[in-house]
Amino acid sequence: MSQSTPQANGNDAAVETVTLTIDGREVTVPKGTTVLKAAESVGTEVPHYCFHEGLSSPAMCRLCLVEVEGAPKLQPSCVTQAQDGQVVRTQGDQALRQRRGVLEFYLVNHPLDCPICDQSGECHLQDYVHEEGRDHGRSREPKRVFGRDDFGGDVLFYGDRCVMCTRCVRFMNEVEQDPRLTVVERGNRSVIDTFFEEGLDGTHWSGNVVDICPVGALVSKDFLYKQRAWDLDHTPSICPSCSQGCNISLHTRDNLVQRLKPRKNLDVNGHWMCDHGRHRYEFMNRPDRLTEPLTGRGTARTPSSASRGWRAALTDVVDRARSLAEGGRGGRVMAVMSPNASNEDIGALVEVVDALGGGDVVYRMARADDEIVLKGYPSLARRRDLAANGHGAELLGATRVGDDDATGGLEAVADHDGIVIVLGDELDDQGEDFGRAAALYLYLGAHPSEAATHADAVLPTTTFAEQEGTFTNIQGRVQRFRQGLRAPGSARPAWLILGAVAAELSGRETAPTSAEEAFDALAGRTNALAGLTWDGLGSRGALVNETVPLAGD
Amino acid sequence: MGVQVKVIQRPEPGRTSYLRAALKGMALTFRHMVNPTKVTQQYPEEQTDLSPRWRGTHVMETHADGRPKCVACGLCPTVCPANCIRLVGGEDDNGNRYPIVYEIDEFRCIFCGMCQEVCPVEAIHVGQHFENAEYSRDRFVYDLDRLMEQDHPSTLLWDPSDPRSE
Repeated sequence: MSQSTPQANGNDAAVETVTLTIDGREVTVPKGTTVLKAAESVGTEVPHYCFHEGLSSPAMCRLCLVEVEGAPKLQPSCVTQAQDGQVVRTQGDQALRQRRGVLEFYLVNHPLDCPICDQSGECHLQDYVHEEGRDHGRSREPKRVFGRDDFGGDVLFYGDRCVMCTRCVRFMNEVEQDPRLTVVERGNRSVIDTFFEEGLDGTHWSGNVVDICPVGALVSKDFLYKQRAWDLDHTPSICPSCSQGCNISLHTRDNLVQRLKPRKNLDVNGHWMCDHGRHRYEFMNRPDRLTEPLTGRGTARTPSSASRGWRAALTDVVDRARSLAEGGRGGRVMAVMSPNASNEDIGALVEVVDALGGGDVVYRMARADDEIVLKGYPSLARRRDLAANGHGAELLGATRVGDDDATGGLEAVADHDGIVIVLGDELDDQGEDFGRAAALYLYLGAHPSEAATHADAVLPTTTFAEQEGTFTNIQGRVQRFRQGLRAPGSARPAWLILGAVAAELSGRETAPTSAEEAFDALAGRTNALAGLTWDGLGSRGALVNETVPLAGD
Repeated sequence: MGVQVKVIQRPEPGRTSYLRAALKGMALTFRHMVNPTKVTQQYPEEQTDLSPRWRGTHVMETHADGRPKCVACGLCPTVCPANCIRLVGGEDDNGNRYPIVYEIDEFRCIFCGMCQEVCPVEAIHVGQHFENAEYSRDRFVYDLDRLMEQDHPSTLLWDPSDPRSE
């Protein structure tokens, strides 16, 4: 029976724990933990299909059977609760024999089409059979054949490969709470199907069923036959498509993002991400890029003009800015930035603006009409703000202008006769007259823009996928993202460019040389980020210590 | 231990002759000239017999309707130790997986034959062929069409009459 060991000190709620033995090792876990999770905590993965952390456990795949001393037969570890004094053997002869048998049954009908299956390389059936299954099949019966079915949305269904774990059905029932999938027929002929013709069309979260499918039964149409899973590099990142800040992995190959997958963070997105964000990755692969720093008015018009390199470009920029500021001709600085700039980028921009005598930093951000909430995980939603770091921009002193399509609002900037700085905003709605009157117009961006025609300096920056940094999400959680792609040419992160300019303008000897230094310096001088450190952000992020409402809220 | 030097006494100049050695060599040449079991091969008029396990220029097998047998599974570029295979998979009109791009750089290839060994559908083979001289380097990158056109016999990685080498 369980023994309670309430924690004596602190405000932590008393957690009852139980101690059990798994494969000869003592494990102490909170009461109510399943044997499967307890085994996982000591590094033993018990094979499982139907169990998924974010879903209910029907214990129907019969693959997580383990030996529990005293129990008359093998127990499904995904629903068996850990109890005090329990002795569990996950690798006992009986358990292994039984699991080998179960796996053989799965292969009675599962086609051996791994060479053409997209799941190959990340397939749990492959892994488990490799680890615990037979090396040769004994079944001589013909396999049943269903063919493939278009489920709508981004989801394609290969019925032959299905192992009937029903994770997808339970996801639609329990998490999205839009029950559109079900099991039809019985026994050998049972198969997942949609209720009506519409299938998964019009759902906002159904891409997750592809992620949780342990085999290749549900595959993404977007990713179909595109790359092999084992060729992809995984980079932890943050979804840039709304202010929720879902933790994602960039799956990259050949210096291109091939797909996005959610990454577990129970504080932000659980195991899920929305289809809107999942399919918005092509912009990271855009080939039209600025690659070399160019200075001199009108350089953007003649892209062939030879670059003299970063040192010359930044010296030129600093000299001109300083002479304007000293001559009193700079006026207030007007800066336009993208709400997808990282905190470090924005911090460096604000520093430059302050060093030039102060001014306004504005950003434009698209806003959707509604939030799309994931009903079974209400803290997760596709937020209205369709950019990653609007919250961070507000915290660092930027103001939102323009309308909900991220257009307009720049009348004061376009004709400003002082210093104009543009960071990341492509100014799609502005003509080539933008900044014509400016005494000094700096355009920092990844992509060429017509509105950069009159720029005095065009400085190529990296996109968020090509640099390290942090975003602040709608909860005020500062989260790190890492570099997944190589930047083209001489493109540099904006914090590096602007940090060097700011250091030069304010006479400091050193400028940050890593995102870590940039963040720590920013946290040191900004109230909103006070107390945060790069190392302290960890894998789940850290909350800022004040809440600033977003414009329009 | 000191180094021991053995001094060889050469015969004085004028007391030796090349004649004997030269005659010995010419005698050998003459014997070969009249030998009926000649070993010189008149390549390229006469072609060498290659071993059935000779690993040379690749061959892509095709279906009866002319499609390549390759299903773009990606195992050959994965296993290739020389990284000489470039493969881009895609979906054809019938929804099947097929190679949009399949290129082998025969210059970079080390002809280990692992691509043939790993292929699950017996599509790519190394072949019993070695004459692939070209006038330019880029011609050594064989694309899918060219690999399918190769008509030389493909390599036998094992003896069909003794598949287990028993």
